[in-house]
Amino acid sequence: MSRRVATYAILLLGLLPLAFPFYWMIVTSLKPKREVFTSTPEWLPAHPAWDNFATAWNAEPFARFFVNSVVVTVAIVGLQIVLGALAAFALARFEFRGRRAFFWVIMAALIVPVQVTFIANFITLAHLGWLNTYAGLIAPYAASAFGTFLLRQAFLAVPRQLEDAARLDGCSGLPFLWHILLPLSRPTLLAFALVAVVTHWNDYFWPLIVTSNNSVRTLPIGLGMFIGQEVTTDWNLLMAASLFVAAPMLLLFFFLQRYFVQSFLRGGIRG
Amino acid sequence: MTALGRGRPYLYLAPTLVVLGAFTYLPIARLVEMSLRAPGLGTSLGAWTGLGTYATLFHNPLFWRALGQTCTYVFISVPLTMALALGLALLLNQPLRGLGVFRTLYYTPVVMPTVAVAALALWLFNSNGGIVNYFLARLGVSPVPWLVSTTWVLPTLILVSIWKNLGYYMLIYLAALQALPLPLFDAARLDGAGPIARFFSITLPLLRPTTFFLSVVALIASFQVFDFVNLMTQGGPSNASNVLVYFAYQQGFSYLQLGMAAAVSLVMFALVLTLLGFVSWALNR
Repeated sequence: MSRRVATYAILLLGLLPLAFPFYWMIVTSLKPKREVFTSTPEWLPAHPAWDNFATAWNAEPFARFFVNSVVVTVAIVGLQIVLGALAAFALARFEFRGRRAFFWVIMAALIVPVQVTFIANFITLAHLGWLNTYAGLIAPYAASAFGTFLLRQAFLAVPRQLEDAARLDGCSGLPFLWHILLPLSRPTLLAFALVAVVTHWNDYFWPLIVTSNNSVRTLPIGLGMFIGQEVTTDWNLLMAASLFVAAPMLLLFFFLQRYFVQSFLRGGIRG
Repeated sequence: MTALGRGRPYLYLAPTLVVLGAFTYLPIARLVEMSLRAPGLGTSLGAWTGLGTYATLFHNPLFWRALGQTCTYVFISVPLTMALALGLALLLNQPLRGLGVFRTLYYTPVVMPTVAVAALALWLFNSNGGIVNYFLARLGVSPVPWLVSTTWVLPTLILVSIWKNLGYYMLIYLAALQALPLPLFDAARLDGAGPIARFFSITLPLLRPTTFFLSVVALIASFQVFDFVNLMTQGGPSNASNVLVYFAYQQGFSYLQLGMAAAVSLVMFALVLTLLGFVSWALNR
């Protein structure tokens, strides 16, 4: 009994520093400017200024950034799934020379972060003429070692007999991947897709390197520029902008959190 | 099997190998080349210069400062995050009602964009009107110059990164805890082992693969710290929060010293590899 009370007490106490910033972000985003700086904080906005969101949205071409973010994120995650499924199919269901070597070549990519390669990739893209293009934002992320690994794990779990039975019915090769392996791997697929969507929607580093033009900038870059301009003045607008940049991921997370949790249970983290 | 049939797996692997080759592996070779050649016009390269770039780099005191500050950041934030995450996971791994809600809430900052977290942290820790200093004042503590003082800036960034990342490590530890074999704990309990003894002699050793995995992830991720620095401090005040990736970024894009930036990236990569080697040696002994 006392142990239960202690557990809840510690968890609630820990929740304060965790949850308060969210609360303060929302409250600040709804304050009219004169309520932002007060000697004693206004815990709730006396006159919620809903138009802060519209003002912030129009302060920069956020609509453009939003479209760019959607295009880039969808393209990256789509490509990662297609390429990852093909590679995982080869690694999990075929016997061929060099299979182990190929597997490790792909896995080794996990320890080469983009923060190491960015200068070289910047030069490559400059020579290709891909700076400030969707292609430049997407191409370096078109394949995912992590996704390949997860899908390979899922494909390995499909029993051999099923493949033999499918072959008797004339379903082998890519149709087998499409009609049998992928549908059976749906939880893995969804879990990976969610993590990938969050990662690339939120990505700040690579778009910062390859974009210098509003026509291709993504939301995180737009918000970053907004920070540069608004700091020390309009915190209410900055918080409103931060909220609408984060909102799609927060919504995705709250509605699909079950799958987020699964993605880690499936991550092959048992060593 | 036909020739096409035998070639099939290679065909399926090809797109992934091309992308990883072009944007992950070739760049490493390219970085080596860039670091050994003089800068040319624009993005082209000049004559081979040998190790001159590295000599210049190792004589740059700012490089050593950025390296030291990166290490401080890594070696404080990684153990702290992992210890807190394990503690939280242990609390959440009890058969109590409503813990799922806590798990969700603790995980929420992980899905936030770093940019939004940076904006929020700038506001919370602001010297002018920031709520954190208001709370401190209520407790009778004088205001702390969080992001504008050379002593406080790194601890503040560490704090923000822990806030952002804790949930990820917590969730993975929780997943591992839930997969532990329960009979082992019952047996230990029957033998009279208390909760603390059970934790150190059963839980912790069994979690070793998870701890290894998480240390690798955390080391790689925290060595790359950049977003918060670029968004909140630009390496300042007076370079007190300059870190390796930010230093490389400055060399490359502010001073157009691409060879120097390449050299920094390679030094950082070598460091991460060495650390990973050490961690795997220490945890798999």
